[in-house]
Amino acid sequence: MNRPLTLVAVIVAAAVLGPLLLPWPYDVIDWGAVRGAPSLSHPLGTDSVGRDLLARTLVGTRVTLSVATAAALVALVIGVAWGAVAGWVGGKTDEVMMRVVDGLYALPFMFVVILLMVVFGRSILLVFLGIGAVEWLTMARVVRGQVIQLKQRPFIIAAEAAGAPPRAILIGHILPNVAGVATAYLLLTVPQVVMVESFLSFLGLGVQEPLTSLGILVKEGADDMDLSPLGLLVPGGILVTVLVCLTLAGEKLRDRFSA
Amino acid sequence: MLTLILRRLGTAIPTLFGVIFLSFVLMRAAPGGPFDGERPLDPATRAALTKAYGLDLPIHEQFGRYLTRVAQGDFGPSLVYRDFTVTDLVAKGLPISLTLGALALLLALALGIGSGLVGATHAARWPDKIIGMGATILTALPSFVTAPLLVLVFGLSLGWLPVSGWNDGGLPNVILPVIALALPYAGAISKLTRAGLASALAEDHVRTARARGLAPMTVLFRHALRPALVPVASYVGPAAAGLLTGAVVIETVFALPGLGRYFVQGALNRDYPLVLGVVTLYAGLIILFNLLADLAYGWLDPRARG
Amino acid sequence: MSVYAVENLCVAIDGVSIVENISFTIAAGECVALVGESGSGKSLSCMTPFGLSPGVATGSVMLGGTELCGLDERALRPLRAAGVGFVFQQPLTALTPHLKVGAQLMEAAMQAGAPKPARRDFIAMLDRVGLPRAHEKLDQYPHQLSGGQRQRVMIAAATAHNPQLLIADEPTTALDASLRHEVMDLIDRLRAEQGLAVLLVSHDLATVRGHANRVVVMQHGLMVESGPADILLAQPQHKYTQALVAAVPLLDGPAPHLPAVGAPLLAASDMTVTFPRAGWRRGRFVAVDGATLTVAAGEALALVGESGSGKSTLGRAIARLGPCDVGSVTWMGEMLPERARMTRDHRRLIQPVFQDPVASLDPRWRVADIIAEPIKHLMPDMSKGERDARVAAALMDVELSLDMADRRPKALSGGQAQRVAIARALIAQPQMLLLDEATSALDVLVAAQIVALLQRLQRERGLAILAITHDLALARQLCHRIAVMDAGHIVEIGKAEDVITSPAHPVTQRLVMASRR
Repeated sequence: MNRPLTLVAVIVAAAVLGPLLLPWPYDVIDWGAVRGAPSLSHPLGTDSVGRDLLARTLVGTRVTLSVATAAALVALVIGVAWGAVAGWVGGKTDEVMMRVVDGLYALPFMFVVILLMVVFGRSILLVFLGIGAVEWLTMARVVRGQVIQLKQRPFIIAAEAAGAPPRAILIGHILPNVAGVATAYLLLTVPQVVMVESFLSFLGLGVQEPLTSLGILVKEGADDMDLSPLGLLVPGGILVTVLVCLTLAGEKLRDRFSA
Repeated sequence: MLTLILRRLGTAIPTLFGVIFLSFVLMRAAPGGPFDGERPLDPATRAALTKAYGLDLPIHEQFGRYLTRVAQGDFGPSLVYRDFTVTDLVAKGLPISLTLGALALLLALALGIGSGLVGATHAARWPDKIIGMGATILTALPSFVTAPLLVLVFGLSLGWLPVSGWNDGGLPNVILPVIALALPYAGAISKLTRAGLASALAEDHVRTARARGLAPMTVLFRHALRPALVPVASYVGPAAAGLLTGAVVIETVFALPGLGRYFVQGALNRDYPLVLGVVTLYAGLIILFNLLADLAYGWLDPRARG
Repeated sequence: MSVYAVENLCVAIDGVSIVENISFTIAAGECVALVGESGSGKSLSCMTPFGLSPGVATGSVMLGGTELCGLDERALRPLRAAGVGFVFQQPLTALTPHLKVGAQLMEAAMQAGAPKPARRDFIAMLDRVGLPRAHEKLDQYPHQLSGGQRQRVMIAAATAHNPQLLIADEPTTALDASLRHEVMDLIDRLRAEQGLAVLLVSHDLATVRGHANRVVVMQHGLMVESGPADILLAQPQHKYTQALVAAVPLLDGPAPHLPAVGAPLLAASDMTVTFPRAGWRRGRFVAVDGATLTVAAGEALALVGESGSGKSTLGRAIARLGPCDVGSVTWMGEMLPERARMTRDHRRLIQPVFQDPVASLDPRWRVADIIAEPIKHLMPDMSKGERDARVAAALMDVELSLDMADRRPKALSGGQAQRVAIARALIAQPQMLLLDEATSALDVLVAAQIVALLQRLQRERGLAILAITHDLALARQLCHRIAVMDAGHIVEIGKAEDVITSPAHPVTQRLVMASRR
């Protein structure tokens, strides 16, 4: 049983189902209950405009995780396609494609994402497109390396001798053998993206009010931490738990497949 | 080795050019300009300002002019901080950001390599397990969570260290920001060192060294450590880039007047010259760090010198 | 008086007994060989008493009067430093990559507490192991030397502190055949000059023959037979030793019965293959340079050469499974198209079998699917029922049971995996096999079984064979003719017996010398 992934599953379930069960919506302002201390009706208290913090934390988790999953999938698709083509075709094509990756690696990419946010306005769609478009680089490198290694394996040459056309070799031999490593890096990409999204939100460049995310909640909690540390500790704790668990699970998978 | 450096530069120059071009185009394509403030300007002032900043020229000419000036180290005047040029702001902010980043990198290397060594010499015993777990947690701890927590504990609760401000780089003011910035990288370097040592210690040449009856410390430092640090060296480039980025958050949390804060302010206020200048500068710095990492790589592994 | 005495040595790893009751002694100037297949525990029995394996040694191991069993690492370290030297299989990885040769020799010379030697002492050390231009070598890194030079450096370092005992663990396995005896001769010379006791570990009886005084044969962690080398190898008593001795192909054994040769089948002419040079240097490296050969129906041709001679590249170019710059291949008078344009009918003609049996099979596929891959693509009209029947027949053909069909490659032994690879090569009924070092990654006994299988298939089906190998004795077992390659050229080609009995080219002579002992 994979304990880290189980814990992540519990958090995901809470984020999806939790808000449905709570009496308070996440965005209803109640000037009568500003910065309320934890109580029976508001287990985590309320924020500076009287919104229920538990509801906001659950919704924030949901937003952060969906952005992260979507962006990681974007990274997976671009990365696998780019890496597989570069590795498989080889030669000049590979050279040029990997130079592009090298070049993009040298970009101060967080700043590019910020640039995109500033230029095109803030939207969730843009957050994850922007992040996914940058996070695919590692995936592309890893997949390319795997494909090049696989390409020289005798069973690929045997498949060629068996009359398998390139498409059949790619689909039947190469991609299944890359799938394990790609999954591992997908798991490792999700925390990366969570981190970037929270980072942007923390700076006020991520998702917009009244929607929230773990990064915004950490920021708000940090602003009010002298009054009640709970607002910092709970979203921060969830964020760190998700990051640690996904990293552990991803590393375990990666070590298994790279051995 | 020389070919490796030339190769790096061959990628670096187009990248640098691309960065300048991309950020330039993006900023110009943006809806809204720097003068779309809350209080509308009268048309005459607006036209004068537009002309003064060269915003009325065709875009390729603007880019050409910009590129020429960048080559001379002149990024133009800031649109938001009206009394300063971008170069002024960089001159004010960069030393602070670099100090922060350099100290954090040193701390991360010391903590990371040190703990990795301790872990490797106690393989599979409790110090190793604790360090391994701690490193994973540190890697996953974003600095914008650790920074407020550190402030909460050491600043607000215990009152040992100042909560914010730079104070000309006074030691008490520097400690918390540097720690908050360094910790995730210390975790990553610790894991890389530990993994590198694990594979280096399993190498044949380490068995040869042990077969010579050398002392364990000689085997570790003379034969195993250098190959084990190869992955660390290739991580230093990206880590330096990450430290520069992370500094943005740290400077915000601790209210430090570094370059990162100017960048965020510039981005929020559509200050084209400032944002372009900072992005270009950072791209240049990252390329420089990658180059240094390559040199370290060559020293660690003579086979890579080619 | 023995230098090294092992009595009832047992080795256990994590409480599991791996080696049991090994006993032998080595006197000064004597060489004892531990022989066995991989996994027989021979390396473990040498390394464990010195604390160089994860195992625990019990029993008695005396090195020059000191008992090693029961000592901890702290006590063993000075004993390793003073009394013994080690030579390992892979000279490239066994030397520290970031230290120059001189630095490593210095460390070795001083390991037992000797004063710092002068540079001329190092030069003398390298001269003694037959390394020319020693003063240059001192300032080079291990990766800048050739394989044979590295092993000489390794031996110089292992003996620099004048140990009583030299433990050589497969010292020649990673080297080319013609270098093997040079390195073994060097060890013999040091043995004679310095009165060194040598413990040689080898899976290869040919290496042991002529160099070891006594032989200890191991199987599954047990000592099955031991005795003086010449007697034991001439009249092995134990069944396992007999099988081992019989499995080694001999250059001058009785001539094999090879099937009759038919009409010309394949002709490759003026084949040239080049590769881009590493790095940014201009120009291309010429791997195969204008090679021409023919193979007739039912004929087996061996392509023999040292590593790097271009024999594999040529074989793949002919089968259209690798790059080819210039040259043509005709099949019964018709041109074969270039690699990317090979049709199904072309692909059916030649099928390959590679060296590494495990890497030859896709780890994620079932054995049945692996074997069926050629008929799936080459005979797409075949019904599923017939396909399954063909796979079953192919399994039986290579003497594997039908329940193997559902296994994954990971669950196969090396020999089984190579049989699966052969079944895959045969299922589309090709007329020619390309055997690329098909037995050299296998243990001696398994290799002999695979050779027997190939001989049977050759007889029954009239298959033509292009066999790429570094081993002349193996070539003689299977092939009518032998072509010798060196530096991309075919330097000699002729009937197998003629090439072996009267080699014309120096490379051939070297290869014959290497196989004859």
